[in-house]
Amino acid sequence: MSTLTDTNTLSAAATPSPARGLRRGDRNRLLKLIGVILISISVLFPLAWMAIAGFKGKTEVLRSPFQFFPDMWDPKNYIAIIQDPQFSRAMLVTFGGALIFTALSLAINSMAAYALARLDFAFKRFWWVFCIMPMFVPGMAILLTSFVVVAQLGMLDTLAVLIIPGVASAVQMFFLRQFYLNMPVAVEEAALIDGASRWQIFTKIFIPQSAAVFVVVGIGSYMAYWNAYVWPILTITSPDLMQIQQFLGNFRSDRGNEWGLLMAGSTIAALPTIILVLFFQRYIVNGVRISGIK
Amino acid sequence: MHKRRNKAVAFAAAVVSTALVLTGCSAGGGTPTDGGTTNVTFWQQKFEDYQGVWFKKYVDEFNKSQDKVHVDYQVIPADTWAQKLQAAQAAGKQPDIATTNYGNIAAGVVNGQFAALDDYMPAESFSDIKENVASFVTIDGKHYAYPMLVEPSTVLYYNTDLVTAAGLDPNSPPTTWDELIDWSTKLTSGDVKGMTIASTAPDLGWSSWGLQYNACGHLPINDDWSKADATDPCFDKLLDFYKALYQGNLIPQQPKVGYADGSPYGNGEVAMMAGGSWVIGQLKNDFPDVLAKTQVAPFPSIDGDQTKPTATLGGWTLTLDSKSKNPQAAADFIQYLLAGDPAIMADFFKAAGYSKYTVRTSVDEALAADPDASADPFMQTISEKVVAYGKQEPGYPWDIALAMGTAIESAMKGTDTVEGSLATADAAINDVITKQGLAGTAPKK
Amino acid sequence: MSALAPTETITGQIAGVSPGLKRRRARAPRAAKHLRSNRTAYLMLAPMVILLAIFVVWPLIYAIYLSFFKISFYKGSEFVGLQYYMFVLQDPKFWNSLRVGIEFAAMVVPIGMVIALLIASFIKTLSKRMASFMKVTVYVPAVVSTVVASVLFLFMYQDQGVVNWFLSLLNAGPVAWLNNPGTALPAIAVPAIWLGLGITTLIMLAGLLDIPDSYYESAELDGAGFFKRTFYITIPLLKNILLYLFVTGFTGAIQMLDLPLVMTNGGPVNATTTPNLFIFNSFRAGTPYATSFSLTTALLLFVVLGLISVLVFRLINSDKAVDG
Repeated sequence: MSTLTDTNTLSAAATPSPARGLRRGDRNRLLKLIGVILISISVLFPLAWMAIAGFKGKTEVLRSPFQFFPDMWDPKNYIAIIQDPQFSRAMLVTFGGALIFTALSLAINSMAAYALARLDFAFKRFWWVFCIMPMFVPGMAILLTSFVVVAQLGMLDTLAVLIIPGVASAVQMFFLRQFYLNMPVAVEEAALIDGASRWQIFTKIFIPQSAAVFVVVGIGSYMAYWNAYVWPILTITSPDLMQIQQFLGNFRSDRGNEWGLLMAGSTIAALPTIILVLFFQRYIVNGVRISGIK
Repeated sequence: MHKRRNKAVAFAAAVVSTALVLTGCSAGGGTPTDGGTTNVTFWQQKFEDYQGVWFKKYVDEFNKSQDKVHVDYQVIPADTWAQKLQAAQAAGKQPDIATTNYGNIAAGVVNGQFAALDDYMPAESFSDIKENVASFVTIDGKHYAYPMLVEPSTVLYYNTDLVTAAGLDPNSPPTTWDELIDWSTKLTSGDVKGMTIASTAPDLGWSSWGLQYNACGHLPINDDWSKADATDPCFDKLLDFYKALYQGNLIPQQPKVGYADGSPYGNGEVAMMAGGSWVIGQLKNDFPDVLAKTQVAPFPSIDGDQTKPTATLGGWTLTLDSKSKNPQAAADFIQYLLAGDPAIMADFFKAAGYSKYTVRTSVDEALAADPDASADPFMQTISEKVVAYGKQEPGYPWDIALAMGTAIESAMKGTDTVEGSLATADAAINDVITKQGLAGTAPKK
Repeated sequence: MSALAPTETITGQIAGVSPGLKRRRARAPRAAKHLRSNRTAYLMLAPMVILLAIFVVWPLIYAIYLSFFKISFYKGSEFVGLQYYMFVLQDPKFWNSLRVGIEFAAMVVPIGMVIALLIASFIKTLSKRMASFMKVTVYVPAVVSTVVASVLFLFMYQDQGVVNWFLSLLNAGPVAWLNNPGTALPAIAVPAIWLGLGITTLIMLAGLLDIPDSYYESAELDGAGFFKRTFYITIPLLKNILLYLFVTGFTGAIQMLDLPLVMTNGGPVNATTTPNLFIFNSFRAGTPYATSFSLTTALLLFVVLGLISVLVFRLINSDKAVDG
């Protein structure tokens, strides 16, 4: 007697006889498994190709007709990348920078979101518009002028220049504010009656409840930092601070790319983020559910 | 209540001080002058890897050989070069020395971007420059860049094995456009295409200059840049030629790499290719098997006249920024690297596999003594038959080249007729002339 | 209207909001007006405001100022007023790029959302472990940078790449996906959808999980088929999610740069030149004209994006977008 383990309450509601239920249950499971496999293959196929291409020689990656598997599984690209101290350094620096960036961004954006969601103060409307407007400013419009600003502030070639300019994010603040607007008022009211300050309410009530939303917003920040390419190239010249996308970008050129190394490097570079996603995935969905965006 | 406020203040302060600490986390930038040594910055646009190796070697040697000048060398990817350079200029952080294309010199001089090197370098350095190249870097009698190399933009490469298999004679390559189309047709079989040539507007913009000169003897603009000339009927034949190649399915229908990259030829996907001379270097490094079966020839001429230009002489120079704080120190490095001991440049051309060509007579002499150079099968053909007839790249704004490139692409892919495409280009070029005030600003020949 | 009567004292509060109204009244949970809130509020807002002011607002103002000049870093900029705005507005390639951007977004966003909805619906029916696996799988493409994704798909679209190989199994001829003006933009839309699939699916899934199964059960008992159930139950209940995803998806898609840059360089014949790519390409020449032109184009793009977003926000429930 197999029990249906899926959450499909509709089929449970149908309650067929045991023998028929078995067959239908199995068939459903089989169909679902096929669905999972098909979707996974189509979604993961390009990535699998990327990982496998890392085992190919430089000129083999590009060759026609298209071939999925290499003639010979040569790990030399992967070995070269792993052994390259510049690569490890870039991974470390980028990872560290991404974590600091994420932590700071959560702190700054959540404070602003709370203030705009829950507090009343002079000129609130003005500040709201001020904080939300940067969402529509295309990066290209302020590329030159923001570079001038960071140059004048003496931030060039430091970790700060990669973190500070981008850490205040209108999009994330918007998302967090949405969440805070929907937090139940009752607990807050009770705390106020007990004499708690607004700040204490924020730190002792709102933040602990924000864990899941913070994961959603945090992963967004992390990805934005991790994938940044143009800004690091403009602002970072020292090899000690080179970011990972800069490093990978060096494999591309008008006159012949290092395809094998690029693929191997990209695959390895993707691993930490995949591990993070694996770890936090259940929070991602929860975080959206309670954010009240619905 | 004080506690609450203090906590909020403390938190804000923590955030700010973290930021300040991070600002302090610098990688230790250098100061302009470190107790007597002058620092100059040198940005090289990324080309082939071997160039980076060569530059680094000689930068290090220069730095070690004396302690008056220290060169800070950086390689910048080509796709972000323009943004990075302009952002630096906006902030006053531009490099003292930068690699500059011949085509960008005229506009740079108009903008006041480059310093005249004559003030900082000895006259012999300039008289050493070969005659045809000297005009590329001279404006109003002054030299605003020091040339490093020329590399003709268009050479015909063909695979002798495939050619022989198709019943053609590898020793008499096509000399007219019609013959090229004929060869391409015979060489297209199975998955292998007979030919490859540029097929996207940005690539066509510059790689077709040589053929524009070949078809019409001039570019689609008049001599003093006051009026477009794209509707000259001789350009029709140029567009028809490209169109025949693409629509006849004689070239790959989708380029997987740009014009400058010779990998499809190296991989045996095409039997012939139009490419710059630098492809030889790529073949030597990555496709030695195919190199052994490769021969080169000047690109066919519209009517077979081999003295007509088929390629433009592209190439790179080093320029000195006019706002440099240490022009003499920077010029000293340029003098050392490009204009000094010919052996240094000879080493460069050797590292490049002789796929690029010299610009100084003294370097020519140094190479003449190099047995590898004389043994190189390609060098002689290209110097004598391609470089000798090559034309200078135009100095007009890129928008004009792109307009013409778009016309060719449009005809090739059938989005418009040949006449229509050229008419559109003509209008676009006239528009550029008006908006950018080009009339009368053409550099005097 | 608020059910709360604001008071002036710190302790006296009337929490008169009924639970049923909580969701609708986003503006309702207004605590008492604290004059002292000013200080806390300003302190909490300060880091963000200061950072935005220094790194976004000031550069924007400076950029707008510069856009009235022919910018030269060597000879001193020359005041030209609105000349470059005229140049950009008169350039047919600018309007072409806007059209391309909007067409591209129109392809990517709706199709992406439909696929995400289908996959999310599917995941909803899976067992816990399979669901976890699928959630991670679907999110993984986002981990790959857009540049690498562009390269991957460039290879897949080749004359003898995977896509054409697949077609050959069906006896259809190879298609020059990226070099054919008609197919190039749709071809680029595919990797864009692929990259955005993860977060979109997860957000949709969250929304679906909140819809009580009882709704579907009673609908099924009434004889409603799959499509009817989707149209009358799923979509209305997901309305806010759908709108949020639409807005963010649209603004993201229209600003796409890496995909067309790497895959087609804007071709063929400008069929895939998105607005940001147009700006990027204009920048390349490095002359004062080029710098001024591309800066002005970027600012005009800002205006266009702002207008579109304001328009879309007005279509959404106003209490979602604007603080009451």
